[in-house]
Amino acid sequence: MPLAERDTPFEDSKTCPCPKTKIFSESLWMIKINNLSCGYGKEVVVKEISFEVKKGEFVGLIGPNGSGKTTIIRAISGFLLPKKGAVLIGGKAISATGRKELATKMAVVTQSPEATPPFSVEEFVLLGRVPHWTRFQFLEAGKDVETAEKAMALTGISRLKGRKIGELSGGERQLTYLARALAQEPDLLLLDEPTAHLDIGHQVRIMRLLESLNKEALTIVVVLHDLNLASLYCRRLVLLDKGKLRKVGRPKEVITEEIINEVYETSILVKEDPDISRRLVFPVH
Amino acid sequence: MQSSRISTWTGWTFSLIVILLGVVVFSLAVGAVDLPLRKAFFLLTKGQGTPEYTILFEVRLPRILLGFAVGGGLAISGVILQGMFRNPLVEPYTLGISGGAALGVCMNMVAGGSRILGPLATPISGFLGAVGVVFFVYVIGARGGGIRLSRLLLIGVMVSFMASSLIMLVMAVTKTEDLHGIIFWIMGSLEEPNSFLTRAVTFISLGGMVLSFLFAVDLNALSLGEEDAFHLGVEVERTKKFLFLIASILTGCCVAVTGIIGFVGLVVPHVMRLLVGGDHRILLVASYIAGAAFLILCDTLARVVIAPMELPVGVITGLVGGGVFVYALSRKGYSF
Amino acid sequence: MECPFWKFLTLSWKKKEGSGKKDMLRTLFAFAFFFVSFSHAFSFPSKAQDDSGRSLEILQAPGRIISLIPAATEQLYLLDAGDRIVGVTIYCQRPSQAQTKEKVGTVIDVNIEKIIELRPDLIIASPLTDHKQIRKLRGLGLRVETFDAPKDFHGLCESFLTLSRIIGKKRKAEEVLERTKRKLEAVREGIEGDAKARVFVQIGANPLFTADEGSFINDLIEYAGGINIAGDVNTGIFSREEVIKRNPDIILIVTMGIIGEREKETWFRYKTISAVKNRRIFTVDSYRVCSPTPVSFVETAKEMARMFHAKQ
Repeated sequence: MPLAERDTPFEDSKTCPCPKTKIFSESLWMIKINNLSCGYGKEVVVKEISFEVKKGEFVGLIGPNGSGKTTIIRAISGFLLPKKGAVLIGGKAISATGRKELATKMAVVTQSPEATPPFSVEEFVLLGRVPHWTRFQFLEAGKDVETAEKAMALTGISRLKGRKIGELSGGERQLTYLARALAQEPDLLLLDEPTAHLDIGHQVRIMRLLESLNKEALTIVVVLHDLNLASLYCRRLVLLDKGKLRKVGRPKEVITEEIINEVYETSILVKEDPDISRRLVFPVH
Repeated sequence: MQSSRISTWTGWTFSLIVILLGVVVFSLAVGAVDLPLRKAFFLLTKGQGTPEYTILFEVRLPRILLGFAVGGGLAISGVILQGMFRNPLVEPYTLGISGGAALGVCMNMVAGGSRILGPLATPISGFLGAVGVVFFVYVIGARGGGIRLSRLLLIGVMVSFMASSLIMLVMAVTKTEDLHGIIFWIMGSLEEPNSFLTRAVTFISLGGMVLSFLFAVDLNALSLGEEDAFHLGVEVERTKKFLFLIASILTGCCVAVTGIIGFVGLVVPHVMRLLVGGDHRILLVASYIAGAAFLILCDTLARVVIAPMELPVGVITGLVGGGVFVYALSRKGYSF
Repeated sequence: MECPFWKFLTLSWKKKEGSGKKDMLRTLFAFAFFFVSFSHAFSFPSKAQDDSGRSLEILQAPGRIISLIPAATEQLYLLDAGDRIVGVTIYCQRPSQAQTKEKVGTVIDVNIEKIIELRPDLIIASPLTDHKQIRKLRGLGLRVETFDAPKDFHGLCESFLTLSRIIGKKRKAEEVLERTKRKLEAVREGIEGDAKARVFVQIGANPLFTADEGSFINDLIEYAGGINIAGDVNTGIFSREEVIKRNPDIILIVTMGIIGEREKETWFRYKTISAVKNRRIFTVDSYRVCSPTPVSFVETAKEMARMFHAKQ
């Protein structure tokens, strides 16, 4: 999806036609996970999971710590090889797709790492254009600069473009990583806890941005620890419990007192907000 | 912003080339024997056979060429390895390359290889030693699929120590005449009578420069971390292997011909990173030129400081390089 | 070569869409081609003049000589060829006239530029001289003759004769050797019948170094009427315990300055050694012993003979 055609976050948008893809088939499915088992070393963290994500969906992955959410994101992105089962993106197995090809279709925003590369914000975002370059291309083309600028505008960090990454606050850094992912012009966006360690202002900003991007046919799979954000913004939720799929469905179906109390081994209240007809979670004092 | 970056980079490259040319001219002009440089052009055309011609073009110029090739080669090996390992203390010798090369040369001396292969025995044995050790370190470090960088580094350092001890063992039991040969080789020198070797190293060094430039963008991505680089479409494992190979062969060749000249591969990448930034597209080119200029300059100083005697060039690179390194690290705002 | 080459180079600079790879290859190829031809413009001569440089008998005696061995410098003066010397090492201290000559480096490491500037006809080198530098000098067309360290007096004389033949002073050499041999005979007659003293020669401290069987110092001691207690070992590193065990009558310290004095004190701690008991520990000038000419050899032998056979 060409970024230039995307509008800024707070405007209404028109849905765009499905992007023309050379390699990916015309199927409705963006991600198909078949019987996936994966883990680190000898340990199996995710046990025989199967689910699908349609094109244009906004899916939230939730579950207690250690339930395998990050592992699934790594498996989908191809960074972690499955021990059993397969992951298909757009109908084609990851193992059969070239690295660069995948990177032009799928972007990943990991949890902000500690390493501070010696780049400015603009240079950093421009790195997101690398998957689109040929082997012998060394300099950014005009199109690359344009796309990067648009990505920075979308995430609202244009004013930071000359600053070094190391100088930014946590929230600003997270937005920068998001901007780089957007500069890749992906069809699928994976995010691992993008709102962790951020203040409520930034949390809302990011979720609203994701929502508007999703309205323009960007498929999004996001790992969230905050059940309320997941309930408010995601169209479908996948609840994991100790590496197994506990429940998949709309927030109404997944966020119930019974299920949440069981999986998280705690006691919470679930109330539905009548104005927006969404479930909200309240801890019991 | 885009065009200003390109013009900044062009500006840097141009200035560095000018500095390099200046250093070359300085090196040609200066030496134990006084030679007025304005005669140089005259000598080039008419002066063949005179001592001045010989000194300028058959003694100083080959050293300058070798300094160019080795200075540049070691510098970009340093850039590659520091970018790959994301560690500011990594330099071409950390992985045991220098130890291996020195050990190879010692073995050659003990086994008397020079009798069979003549003067090529030392560089060949040095190269085989270097590459052998690197291969050994790699095989052990790459166990369990994929290259684990921290493990590679640790093994490299250990192997270096082992090699040093073995070398001391060999030195303790050899004859005096061979002993001094080993010591001088280890101290490093740009004196190389075999012009084939000089040309070979230059060719390999420039080739390495071109090859690593093809990976400049990958190195940029790698500096973000392996997982991020992976997500940007870089074939991380394959790229690491290839970069490792380039850096090892480059260093191995340099060390095989000139012995162990330290600090170039450590200091030059650092200082250039301070000056031109961490983007490998400019960093590689700038480091190559700066490394070449640095080594030629140090060699010139080594030749004249206590003329007619010569200091080993490693002494000068150590003192000057070390000093610059400490200064660079003490500056505020330095982030790797 | 020029015209089509430049055309080729400019061709590869035309930027075409979609043929990035081909451009790259072309530029690489052009570069490689350029580089190879560039390097040929500066092809350095690498063949030494083997035949004429290696034969010992030559028609014209070398008039400008650089000596990289202190002993050779001294020998050249013995042969009345001191005026032909144009360059020496900083260690060439004897005879005193040698100190005025131009210095070109040390025994191990020399300055090639200085040597070239002096335009020598002959360079005398030792096995200690840097091999790479010898090859470089030969590659530049200069004549370099290497003289190995002599193993005994006979070898020393042979070496001396060879040198004289190279510089065309054979007759003078034979004269000097005649006189030297007569003097040596005199020394031998002087100590005829005296018991042979058992000697330990120390030429290095830390680690303790002695003259092994391959060293000509063995010969020196023989002629002086002594026996080297380390004459049967083939490496110079020796242990002090071994010296105590072998119990020499005389300890000879070949000095290198104050180290000699300190070593003397150290030996006095081992009171069981005969040499210590009789206070027969002597120091000898290292220059005399380690850089011999036939003449200095005999002088040193005479001095040693006196030390070994002094009436207590």
